[in-house]
Amino acid sequence: MDEMDNTMIGRGRDAIEMIVDEGTFVENKVGDADFDPEYGPGSVVGTAKLEGTTCTVIANDAYAFNERFPVVFGGVIGLEEGYKMATAVYRSMEADADKPLAEKRPLILIVDTPGNGPGKMEEIAGMNKSTGGYQLALAEARKAGHPVIAMVIGRAISGAFLCHGLQADHILALSKDFGTMIHVMPITSISRITKMDIERLEELSKVNPVFAPGVDFFYNLGGVQEIVNKVEDMRPVIAKHVKEVAALKAAGEYEKLGPWGRGLLGDERGGRVSRLKAIAKMNEEFAAVADKYLNA
Amino acid sequence: MALQTLEFTFKSEATQGIAKPWSHLGVTGSGDLEVLMEKKDLGGDVKAKVITPVKGFDQVWERMLAKFVNDTGVGNVSIEINDDNATPIVVYMRLRQALAEAQAEEAE
Amino acid sequence: MRSWNELETGSFFDANARERAVGMVDKGSFTELLGPLDRFMSPHLPVLGTAVEFDDGTVTGVGLIGKHPVFVISMEGKFIGGAIGEVNGAKMVGSIRLALKTAEDLKAAHPDDYEERRPMVVISFETGGVRLHEANAGLLAHAEVMDAFQDCRKKLPVVSVVGSKVGCFGGMGFVAAATDVIIMNEQGRIGLTGPEVIEQEMGKEEFDASNKALVYRTTGAKHKYIIGDCNYLVEDKIGAFHAALADVAAKSMEEIEGMRRIGSLKLVQEQQGLVKLVGDMQPKDSMDLWKYYGNEDPAELPELTTEEFLKVVKRRVRP
Repeated sequence: MDEMDNTMIGRGRDAIEMIVDEGTFVENKVGDADFDPEYGPGSVVGTAKLEGTTCTVIANDAYAFNERFPVVFGGVIGLEEGYKMATAVYRSMEADADKPLAEKRPLILIVDTPGNGPGKMEEIAGMNKSTGGYQLALAEARKAGHPVIAMVIGRAISGAFLCHGLQADHILALSKDFGTMIHVMPITSISRITKMDIERLEELSKVNPVFAPGVDFFYNLGGVQEIVNKVEDMRPVIAKHVKEVAALKAAGEYEKLGPWGRGLLGDERGGRVSRLKAIAKMNEEFAAVADKYLNA
Repeated sequence: MALQTLEFTFKSEATQGIAKPWSHLGVTGSGDLEVLMEKKDLGGDVKAKVITPVKGFDQVWERMLAKFVNDTGVGNVSIEINDDNATPIVVYMRLRQALAEAQAEEAE
Repeated sequence: MRSWNELETGSFFDANARERAVGMVDKGSFTELLGPLDRFMSPHLPVLGTAVEFDDGTVTGVGLIGKHPVFVISMEGKFIGGAIGEVNGAKMVGSIRLALKTAEDLKAAHPDDYEERRPMVVISFETGGVRLHEANAGLLAHAEVMDAFQDCRKKLPVVSVVGSKVGCFGGMGFVAAATDVIIMNEQGRIGLTGPEVIEQEMGKEEFDASNKALVYRTTGAKHKYIIGDCNYLVEDKIGAFHAALADVAAKSMEEIEGMRRIGSLKLVQEQQGLVKLVGDMQPKDSMDLWKYYGNEDPAELPELTTEEFLKVVKRRVRP
């Protein structure tokens, strides 16, 4: 397959249409709230139906340019974008606040972003709060019972992936044949910054899931739940995961979902086997001294 | 490229053990190292284990550690070092500091 | 290690991770968990030929402030820049989960005086974020920490302490922003994108990363204090951080929730107000914003001691 013919990079808006029920996507509306179409143009928020169920859709727009914050283009999540995405999450919770667990609307995150806004104005205002605020909103929605599914269609890079994706219940990704990118940094940059030998790193990057870029490696680490091999499969696979996640929430199994669930999966798949051992040992050591702290 | 692990055993006259069951000093920073000392019944000997990214300095490590054991007369102790390119002078200084820490009364 | 009394009066900036952990809680109360003797080192660094540390660069443990159990996470910037990998990331998450469990246990054991025993999480940040040598595991650990923070909301305070050489950058920049309370000394810096990367993106004319004063004005504690991102600006003494933590421990959860920057729709809207101001103003320097908030001579602020600064500074007023 020629990946460049098939890539979904830069096609966040197309992906929305491919995933949701035909003609149901209404941009800039979530629950009762309307969004200013001029605000945070690098992100796309709105409401659609997925197999008849109302859901919130949050995506990146790689072709938008934010005139007030010129570092925002190509799908970058800037100050306005992060807060706009967070608002869409809070409005979803608000709309379903009085509904039973089974009727909490799913949130579908369509991920294709190269980074958070890296500028001076961003640092002056505090870009860390924008990206952090969106993550807390997603965590709250997930814990409130909304199924949150992330679908990586293109670039899921470092802090931007943390912002838009890594707080989901389940993360799905198009296979590497589509040019999908999940990483913190390319090997060349890792080599430059750590001063480690590039040839050795490239050799290791074929087998080492813990630092090397790639969808398959994130799968090993539990960072990706399922790899999707055809674009037309995105829609049914997302719908399947919405149902799976909702069922786990109905059963109260929140620990199998989200970042903690991905940790368990990373242990199961053999990519991250130290973390649970470290945590178990800490718990054991605390238990031995707990009395001093519980009955001070 | 991988880290080197070096292990040594030094015969010691064992004139002094360490006071604490174990003690730790330092940070594995660039040009620096950390030392973990543990009191162990080794028939007076000193065992040392060094983990370092630097190749080809086995003899230098052995000499510095032997000098430390000789100079201090320490025995029945296991020494573990995580090194990140420390110079021999820094190694020797940190070992002396680590021993002082292992011998220290807990200050107020 | 220096005695606790010496640590209290000693510089926070100059202290290593273990000294900070011991000195921020009450005398003699700190027990390290997963300390050097456990030798729980990164399994990923040896194959890359990178030096390891027995505690993987983060000191974790529990101490007391009054009767409050304080779960401390203290990062060591000298070890790979304090960056987060699989093991030290797990130590962070494990500490927060222990605090949550301890809260439940304390509620059951001491229902009458739970408030004065309510646990706290304290994170002394000194980090650039993800450890590139184990980047993927480090990235996933960041998400776990954010998730665990949300579990602590309105149950127990999570406090950021920032005042060490490396500052708090990369993903850990938003982790700090997501905590309830931020305590800094004057040297403390918090940001998302490091100065070198901004320079690379925008050019040296826009942002000169070697201009230390500019870097401090953009991400430093005084700026954070003015715009409301730092709740306590304290002297550079470990004891001063200890005292500020005691102050936080004594507050109600409602008061603590009121110290947050993000974490609700209302707070997001408040931050959007700041973003609008910055978008309209297009500041060339943080000083433009300081002036807007009523500081007539912003250029003098960086020169003042912490004490002088606190006397004269005008801060963003929350709506």
